[in-house]
Amino acid sequence: MASIHLENIAKRYGVFVGVQDISLRIEDEEFLVLLGPSGCGKTTTMRMIAGLETPTEGQIIIDGEVVNEIDARDRDVAMVFQGYALYPNMSIYDNIRFPLRMRGIPASEHDARIRKAADMVELGAFLDRKPAALSGGQRQRAALARAIVRQPQVFLMDEPLSNLDAKLRQSMRVQIKHMQRQLKVTTVYVTHDQIEAMTLADRIVIMNNGAIQQVGTPDQIYSDPANTFVAGFIGSPPMNLIDGEAKDGRFTAPGITAPCPAHVQGKVTLGVRPEDCHVGGDHVQGMVYGVEPTGDVTYLTVVAGTKKIEVKAARDYRSDIDMPIAISFDPAHLYFFEEAGARIRGGT
Amino acid sequence: MANARKTRGESLLLRYLVLGGWALVCLLPILWFLSIGFRPRTEVITPEPIYWPTWSLDAWYLLTSDWPIAQYLRNSVVAVAGSVVIDLVLAIPAAYALSRYEFKGREDIGFYILSTRMMAPAIVAVPIFFLFKEMGLLDSVWALMLIYAAINLSLVTWIIRSYMLDIPKELEDAARTDGAGDLTILREIIIPACLPGIITAAVIAAIFAINEFLFTLLIASTSKAYTMSVALANFTGGSDGIIYNAIALVSFIAFVPILILVILIQKHLSRGLTMGAVKG
Repeated sequence: MASIHLENIAKRYGVFVGVQDISLRIEDEEFLVLLGPSGCGKTTTMRMIAGLETPTEGQIIIDGEVVNEIDARDRDVAMVFQGYALYPNMSIYDNIRFPLRMRGIPASEHDARIRKAADMVELGAFLDRKPAALSGGQRQRAALARAIVRQPQVFLMDEPLSNLDAKLRQSMRVQIKHMQRQLKVTTVYVTHDQIEAMTLADRIVIMNNGAIQQVGTPDQIYSDPANTFVAGFIGSPPMNLIDGEAKDGRFTAPGITAPCPAHVQGKVTLGVRPEDCHVGGDHVQGMVYGVEPTGDVTYLTVVAGTKKIEVKAARDYRSDIDMPIAISFDPAHLYFFEEAGARIRGGT
Repeated sequence: MANARKTRGESLLLRYLVLGGWALVCLLPILWFLSIGFRPRTEVITPEPIYWPTWSLDAWYLLTSDWPIAQYLRNSVVAVAGSVVIDLVLAIPAAYALSRYEFKGREDIGFYILSTRMMAPAIVAVPIFFLFKEMGLLDSVWALMLIYAAINLSLVTWIIRSYMLDIPKELEDAARTDGAGDLTILREIIIPACLPGIITAAVIAAIFAINEFLFTLLIASTSKAYTMSVALANFTGGSDGIIYNAIALVSFIAFVPILILVILIQKHLSRGLTMGAVKG
């Protein structure tokens, strides 16, 4: 049980900047997800919390104690790795036991704790197997059991589900969330999968190029993006971002014209989510580029000028390609961004 | 169904035929040696081929009566086994450092270690002779042990290092966050994970060592330190002429320990122990 405080953390490798000036407060028992594209510094941030990397600048404080100089083995932090990192020569039982042995926990307690952890991840029947004899999902659960067995202050999970297939990923996601709520352990979870981030997190930290773009609850991140990066990263399909010109309460781009607040002026980017676009109306005049029925919703791609716009249409919507089509935006859910990417808010 | 099974049976038969043929090609020299070793000396040197030999234990009696063959074999085994142990004790930590720690000149040191293998051994033969003479180590099994270990150390280090480089870094990170220190990680994670590599390196070192001739001849001067490889040479000279059947028998005896070793550890010589550690 611990809070984690990152104060102006930076990590540089020579001239290459891995992480630049990150400050973040992770509350006790919180499930925090670091989300971003590969190479954005999220894994480096996590490895610094684990003690596997030393920050070039700044302080890491776990539960009130500065841990910069404390080695990974002496931090009470358990980590789950992307590739599971099970010890191949040991049985699952011995794998789960390893942290107990290393931390000097009395041998008399081992067996009960191992079985309890294994039961939590439904792996009780596989304890005497070697990792090679388990499926991908079972290996991932074994790695989880190894992390929870010693009841650490902090869990770190580095893309733990990215090697699993879609169906397994969904069920493991629920299991991880359930476990975290049950154990009430502060958890930092790294992923590049926005669905994982949205479903698991209490708060999401979106990172890009080694810097934090936005911190917020999944709802805030989705409905109130701070810049075009966040807007374009979250959502499936992501928000449409249309470059154009705003003047006197009117946004215009080739084939597109939409209302905008009077204080939005000049070169701006209009953001609109696919579910806030509707077939019919007069904001977009374009051509049908493609229609993708998925069963519960139909994705429609419309070309206006040179810009492709994604629309979530009714499930029974069908059209041939290259047909003229008109689209309207929900005026209550339009976002405007400066040319540099920052959100234009409020104003009168 | 019946048809398919038949085809399968035929292809299996064919497979055994091909493999059996290849095995025969590989085994023929060994069987040939063995047959020479158990023929009388006169029959071995006759110009006409003899397809159905008369068996005789002449060579065996010669070996056991005139030559301390058990002593040679013991010398070989002690010197080779000792040298392999020395190699592993030195090479495993060196390979770990060379594969994992970041330090200045790491690659250069690695290359320097390998480069000691590139020199022709004869170049250092004379200095080594005098060095060992000064240390009073001539004509002893211990000296051979040191020489063999020195000859093979670079190779053993490099083989083990290449296996260690293949071990995912994640395994060590996991062990570290689990609370293990460097030595524990080496002992409990790294060594078991690259055991096939360690065994391969040890077998190769043992084979090189048992076949070593030049330095053994230089250092060993009596049966106190003679090994099988030098003993072999002793049958090729002297007033009795070349004793082919005895040579063949000694060769076979020298070959058996390595054969047994390889059969015993065959399972480990194939890789795959790290399978399942990491997705892939």
